[in-house]
Formats: sequence, C-alpha cells, structure tokens
Amino acid sequence: MDYFGFALRTTAITFLVGGLWGAGALLSAKERSTAVGIAPEKVADYIHAVLEADRSLYTTHVVNRMQEQGIVAATEQWEQGKGLPLPAQFLQHSGRLVAEAGYGIRYKLIGFSPIYQRNAPATEFERSALELLRRQPDRPVTGVVSSGRKQYFQAIYADRALSPACVTCHNSHPLSPKQDFKLNDVMGGIAITIPLE
Amino acid sequence: MNAPSPPSPTGARWGLKTKIIVSMLLVGLLPLVVGLGMAFWQGSQEIREVSGESFEALATEAARKLDLLVVEEIAHTARIANDPTIIRELERRRDTPSNSRTSTDLERRWMNRENAAVKSLTDNSLSALLRDYFSGVHSPPGQLLPQVVRSSTKMLFLTDTQGALVGTMTDHPAFRHRDARWWQGAFNKGVGKLYIEDLHFDERVNVYVFTISLPIMDSLRHGAVGVLHRVIDAKEFFSPSTHTIRFGKTGHVMLINTNGIVISCPILPTGVPLSEPSLTPLITPNHSGWVQASSDGHGGHETSVIGFAPLPETNRATNGSIEEGSWHTFVWQSSDELFAPIQHLFSWVLMFGLVAITLLVSLGYVAAGRIVTPVRQLQQAAQAIGRGELERPIQISTGDELEDLAGEFNRMNAQLKAAFAGLTSQVELKTQEVRVLQQSTDQILDAVPTPILLIDAHEVVQYINQAGRESFPAQGTVPGSSLFSILSLDQAQQKRLQAEFRANGNAPLTAAMSTAETAPRDPLMPDTDHDSAKHRAQLQIGSRTYRYQWFRLPARPGGEDSIGLVLRDTTDESRLQDQLVQAEKSGSLGVLTAGIGHELNNPLFGIIGLGEVMQDEQDMEMIKSYAKDIVAHGRRMAAIIRDFTGVIDRETSDKPISVPMEHIVDQALTTTQATVEMQNIVIHKHYAGTTPVLVLPDQLRQALVNLVTNAVQAMNGRGTLTLTTAVAGKTVSTTIADSGPGISKQHLSKVFDPFFTTKGQGEGSGLGLTVARRLIRKCGGNIRLESHEGEGTICSITLPLCSTPFQQGDPWTTSASHSAPQPSHSS
Repeated sequence: MDYFGFALRTTAITFLVGGLWGAGALLSAKERSTAVGIAPEKVADYIHAVLEADRSLYTTHVVNRMQEQGIVAATEQWEQGKGLPLPAQFLQHSGRLVAEAGYGIRYKLIGFSPIYQRNAPATEFERSALELLRRQPDRPVTGVVSSGRKQYFQAIYADRALSPACVTCHNSHPLSPKQDFKLNDVMGGIAITIPLE
Repeated sequence: MNAPSPPSPTGARWGLKTKIIVSMLLVGLLPLVVGLGMAFWQGSQEIREVSGESFEALATEAARKLDLLVVEEIAHTARIANDPTIIRELERRRDTPSNSRTSTDLERRWMNRENAAVKSLTDNSLSALLRDYFSGVHSPPGQLLPQVVRSSTKMLFLTDTQGALVGTMTDHPAFRHRDARWWQGAFNKGVGKLYIEDLHFDERVNVYVFTISLPIMDSLRHGAVGVLHRVIDAKEFFSPSTHTIRFGKTGHVMLINTNGIVISCPILPTGVPLSEPSLTPLITPNHSGWVQASSDGHGGHETSVIGFAPLPETNRATNGSIEEGSWHTFVWQSSDELFAPIQHLFSWVLMFGLVAITLLVSLGYVAAGRIVTPVRQLQQAAQAIGRGELERPIQISTGDELEDLAGEFNRMNAQLKAAFAGLTSQVELKTQEVRVLQQSTDQILDAVPTPILLIDAHEVVQYINQAGRESFPAQGTVPGSSLFSILSLDQAQQKRLQAEFRANGNAPLTAAMSTAETAPRDPLMPDTDHDSAKHRAQLQIGSRTYRYQWFRLPARPGGEDSIGLVLRDTTDESRLQDQLVQAEKSGSLGVLTAGIGHELNNPLFGIIGLGEVMQDEQDMEMIKSYAKDIVAHGRRMAAIIRDFTGVIDRETSDKPISVPMEHIVDQALTTTQATVEMQNIVIHKHYAGTTPVLVLPDQLRQALVNLVTNAVQAMNGRGTLTLTTAVAGKTVSTTIADSGPGISKQHLSKVFDPFFTTKGQGEGSGLGLTVARRLIRKCGGNIRLESHEGEGTICSITLPLCSTPFQQGDPWTTSASHSAPQPSHSS
C-alpha cells in the first residue's frame, strides 16, 4: 500500500470535505447539509462497539448461562442438531447476514492461526495489521484498501480470548494449528470494512 | 427284562409304553421347538442389529469419503477462483461500465454459434487460463487434477458480476446465467458463497450432472466479482468411489439426494428415484443411522436393513443450505444374503432336532421297556393273586421302587394265603355247627306230637316231621311230594286250603286259630257263629278233625320264603267238650226249671187259693175282689215268664239305637227287683244325667240285669248297691258296686268263663257273666271286674258315647211290651 499517497489523498479529501462543509455552512447557515460526514474510523469504532457488546452479551448471558444450567451447549456443529453457535460463529454469521444486506459493509474475524484457512488474513494489509496488533492490541489498525477502482476503509481491532469457551475450542480442535491459547490472549482481530464511495 | 414280553393291552387305548414314549418326546420336543424359535428370532434380531450398525458405520465412512472427494474438488475449483489474474480481470470488468448493447450483441452471436463470437469467448485469456488449470499447467505436481475429475468435468466457465459468460473451456454453456439458481446462490448478492447444485439432467451435455459454483472474490475478498461454474457428470465422478465398495454378493454403497434420486449406485442408473418413495424420508435425516425398512429401494419388497449417513460438508453447500437438498449414502445388502447365516443355522438346528427326536424316541422306547415290563409282570401277578393261583413269588430285580412293589405283592400274597387257610377251617367248623343245629331242630320237630309240614311256593312239601309222617303215610317220596298228595282232603277243603296257601297263610287264619284257642265253644252263644264255622281253621281228614295254622318261614338270602303248616288233632278234644256242654246243659235246665217253678208257684198257689175261696163265696163284691187279685197274680206270672224269656230272647232288632244309659240301668234294677229279694239293700245312684249310648237296649238291659242280680246275690240281700254312670272322653262308664264279700283272686280270673259259678247247685247256671260280657262286647263296649276279698266287687262297663240324639218311640221304650212268652232258644 502506498501510505504516502493514501495520507495525501486522505488529507486532500479531508480538506475538500472540510472546505465544502465550511463553504456550505457559510453560504447557508440555516440549511444544514446532509453531506456532513463521519470519519470512517468513528464508524468503525461504533460498529466495533456494537459487535463487542452483542457478542459479549451473547457469550455471557446466552451461551454461558445455557451451559451452566445444562439446557444447551454451544457447539461448532450447531446446525446439525441441538446446540448454540459458538460466539465466534455468532459473529461470523451475523457478518454474513450484514454483508448480504447489501450495504457494502463487511466485518469478519481473522486470526493468526485460524482453525479454517478461510479465516486467515486475506490481504497483505490484514496480515500486517494482525502483526501490528499482536504488539499493540489496544488500538485498531486502520487503512484504506482498494480492489480495482473500489476503495474501502478497513479497521482491524484486536480480538482477545474473552471466554474459556474460545480457549478450549481452539486448543482442542483437531484442525487448530496453535493449541496453547490462554484466556485474554490476542487470538486475532475483527476486521471491519466500509466502502468509501 | 427277565420275562418274555406279554401281549400288549387292548389296542384302542394307549398303553403305558406309548404314553412314556410320547411324554419323553414331548418333554424333549417342546423345549427344542421353543429353543429353535427363540434362537431363530434372537439370531435374526442379532444379525439385524449387527448388520444395521455395520451398515451405519460403512455408510458414515463412505459418506466421509465422498464428502472428502467433493471437498477436494471444491478445493481444486477454488484454486482457479483464487487466481489473481482472473480476479484482476474480473475486477477490471466490474469497474468498466459494461456496454449493454455490445453484451446483447455478443450474446446473440454466441447463441448463433458465430465463429468469431465463440472464438472471442473460448479463446480469450480467461478461457486459456481455465484450460491451463484444467490441464494442470499451473498446478504443482502433487495437485494435478485426477484423470477421473478431468473426464467427468463437462463444463467449466466464468461469468462476470452480471452473470454473463466471460470465459469458457467448452462452447456448451449458455451466455447469460444471472437468473440461474446456482448463479444467484454463488454470487449471493455480491457476498459470494459456495453453491453445489443438486443432481439434474443437463441437456447440453446429455448426462445427469451436479455443479459446483464458486464466487470469484475481489482482491480484498470483500465482494464477488464473478462466478466460476463447473458442471460435473455425477455418475462418472462418484462411481470410482462408490462402485468399489462392495461386500458379499449384493452389498453396496449408493449415493442419493433428499428426493430419493440416485446419484450413484452400482446397480441402479443415475437419476432414477428409489423404487419405494416412502423409504426416502426414513433414510435421509441429518444424522447417520440404520433402519429396518419394508423395501430395499431396488425393487425388492423384503424387509431390509439399510444404513445411511449424510455428507456433512457437501450438504452445507448443496442448494445453498443444509436443509434444501442434501446428499446421503445408503448401504444395503439383500435380505436373502443378510439372513443366510441364520437360515443355515436354522437348517442345522432342524437337522439336529430331527436327530434329537430320533434319539428321544429310541431312548423313550428303551426306558419305557424297562419300566413297562416289570409293571406288566406285576399286573399278571396281581391277576394270579386274584385267582388265588400265584405259586411262585414275583421276581423283579430292577433295584428301584418296582422291586419294592414286587416285594409288597409277595408279602401280600403270603398274607392272603394265610388268611384264606384260616377262613377255610372256620367255614368247616361253622358248617358242622349248622349241621348239628339242623339235626337238633329235626329231632325237636320230630319230638313234637303234632304234624308239621314245610311247603315251598309250588305247594311241594319240603319237610314233614315224625308226627306228620305217622299221621299221613306218604304216598310218594318226602320231601318232594305235593301237599295234597299227602293230605287227602275232599274237593272243597282242598280248594280252601289252596286259596289260603296262595294268600300265603295270612292273618285271618291265625286269628281264627287264636279264637279257637282262647274261647272254647260257648254253649249259649247264639247261632251267629254258624256262618263262621265254615271258615274255621279246621280240616277233616279221614275220620279225624285237625285244627291247623300257617306260619311263614323266612328264607335264607336269595331264596323264596317257605310256609309252614301246623296241624293239631282236635278230634278227641271236641268230643270231650261236646260231652261237657251236654252235661252243663242238663244241669242248667235243672236250675232253670227249679227257678221257674219257684217263681211261678207263689202266684199260682195264690190263684189256686183265691179260686178255691171264690168257689164258696157268694158275695159278688168279694168275688170281684178275688178275681182282681187273681188277675194281679196272673200278671205277675206273665212278668216272670217275660223276664225268663228275656234272658234267652234274641234281639228282635239287630239295629242298635241311641238310648240313655241311665234308663237302661233303672230298667235293669226294676227287673232285678222283681226276681230278687232287695228289701234290705240300700241303693245309691250317681248318674251323669242322660248319657246316650248306641246299643241294642234289650240286650244291654239283660246284661245289666245279670250283673245287678250277681251283685245283689253276692250281698245276700243286705248291703249297699251303688250305681254310677260317668262320661270320660268318648266313652260312658257305668259301675255297679256292691258291698259283698268280694271274689277271691283265684276265682276272679275265671268269673267270665262259662259255667263257672260259686253258687250252690241249682242256684246259678254260671252263665250270667259270660252272657253279660258277650252282650256288652256286642254293643261295642267292654266289662271289667275289680274285687278285693271282704271289700265288695266293682263291675265297670264302658260303652262308646253316642253323638246322635235319642230316637223316640224306639223299641227300647216298648221293650216292656215283649210280654209274650217265647220258647227259649237257649240250650
């Protein structure tokens, strides 16, 4: 990725947007323009917050409770019988639903050593972002990526092993390449992709 | 065992031997049959279970294998889909706004198979890339497409985001696919998803195919930029995997979809449904298992065991989701083959059973022989004992209860013999006793002076005693002669005797006998006895008269009763009695004549005296007075004569009438006063009123006159006479009590005997009480005398009380008019 170019373009866009917004505000103080933008980082933060909240609620109040009460357990093959989706599957499936909704926004879980290869980082950006997150898990790695002529804002947040279920599954799954995860380890990241159009 | 087999018992019933054999057979056969059935059932069950589980395991294994095959094929296809060149080209095409007119034009030309158009699509860079991948140019050496996969792939082409064909290996595909389900499923609104299309017939390639569609994702894997579509011949693709799994002759694995359509089967062609639609839901659940179904899906309708399992990974992608159309393996083996082992087992067990039955029958035969032979021996021995013929002891040495039983039989036989021996001697003893008894009886009977005969039912004399033999010298042999050949009787007597004999010599005859015995002939008895004389039990045999009596002799059990006839010679007795009666008659006549003379003399002398006085008397008045006295004397004489005739007069009327008893008593008293001196006799009367009795009044009066006369005479003209009547129940009792000297005990029993008298010669005939008793008995009453010496005598008469009222004007009231003297019938 051409970070310099990206920064330049971002600055230019910011200026452009800011200038337009300023001119608009000046020209018509009363007419609030709908073109008021929100920084994609913010959008990504919002989305991430919602995702985290949802998954955390699902993990704590659905999966853990059901399992503790012995009613139903979370299992990977939840579709083929009685069982709840694993928290990770919950997020992946909701991500698929969001993608199929057609707004162009996507989010997914990616990992350093995923059980299924389809959840490995798909691009160089994702790979390097994960590397970065391994060292600095507290802040998301953001950037603009492009496919052909299409550009997307991507923010990747570190994802930790929040519940023992995550650790147990990854450490015991026969396809898992890494089996020494501990609770609260950074297992990968949540990648949120927003089209920039 | 040690005696020859006796003839078997009667054929109709089952002998002991047959029963033992049959029971042994049943005892053996029943468990055998039950066991066989159980074994067969259990075996079938086990085979079903084991086969079912094996089939399930095999189905699961086959499913995994086929799943891997499909997954591998998807991976192969994914490698093409991940090719950066293809991704870039399709990204470029996505970013370049398409010219719809050019596209439509190309479509038209593709449809028309214009060479340029076809070439532009089949020979472009994308198509070349596909071909390269297909031929393995870009593949590392280990990842070459296998030959099977290559040959089974019928089409491989790419579409862009609009579903338009952008590159193809062959010229078969259509141009636009936007509306195809597989395209929509794989493109998935730009998100992209693996889509495996279920089995269907593709007309372009003319085979049953399934397809794998993969989205081509952009370089960011953010969205789909195209779809890679691969059409695979199902049969060619799967057959190398499914057809190799064979077991037994018919066991195989097949692949079907949820609609029951065969995808691959070594027996059924691809694309046909299973023969039994109802089978499909049983074997296509989302988990593995086995069922026992009523058909095998291959046209057979036998009960089949079928194992099944889904292809989990493949099913996730077939028709876009796990619910819509999934693929399942199906493992089946023909029932005949499956249950062949149990059939074999069954045959074997059946053979074993037959052998066992044969053994059982033979063993039963032997065992029955061992049991039955001694039993038959015992049976014969028992029969011999019953006949008393068992000489030798029974010899059975089986060493069990039968031997003990034989011992018991022997002991029983010995005891029976001993008992019989004792019995015989006793019988002899008793026989002797009986003989002695018989002899003594005979001697006793012979000693009896009267003839005694025993006659059987056929009038044949069985026995006749010594006296009989002497009296009736037998014409024929006795016993054995007829009764009438021994007794020579006239016709009438014989008939009578026969009649009595037929009546078995019953009561009337014995009664006649008893009368004859207790009552010697009563010389005063009127001729009423004249009729019954004919029936008197008396026989005239020759010159001798016999009284006879029948008696019944109980027969011994089973025999007929005999009848005995006792004869008593009364010839001498009746002659003596007749002489006696004659003497008594003469005596009585003397007394009577004296009495009459004395009674009549007084008035007669009075009459004579008066008559003489009248002869000298002139005074008419005196004469009249004397005549009056003469008439009185005459009347008195007439009364005297009347009274005398009353003693012997027969009752003019035989018909009893109802009269008051007291009147008769008074009359009798009056009559007595006329003949006997009673001036110094005090008379007390205690009457119970007027008590009616049904009697012949004159006869009763006569009886009472006799009794009162007796009483007065007993007191010698001085004393107290008490007359009493009383009613007790239905009888009237009348007593005549005197205060005389009484009757001594020795005389008391004889007072009723005829001619018995304590009076002097000429004072009494000795017939008074006899006559009185006879008359009272004739009236249905009875008389009894009670007397204690020195205390007087009480004579009690009881008569039945009459319920009918008195009959006025009956003869009793006029009996006084029987004044006319009648000649006496008394003899």
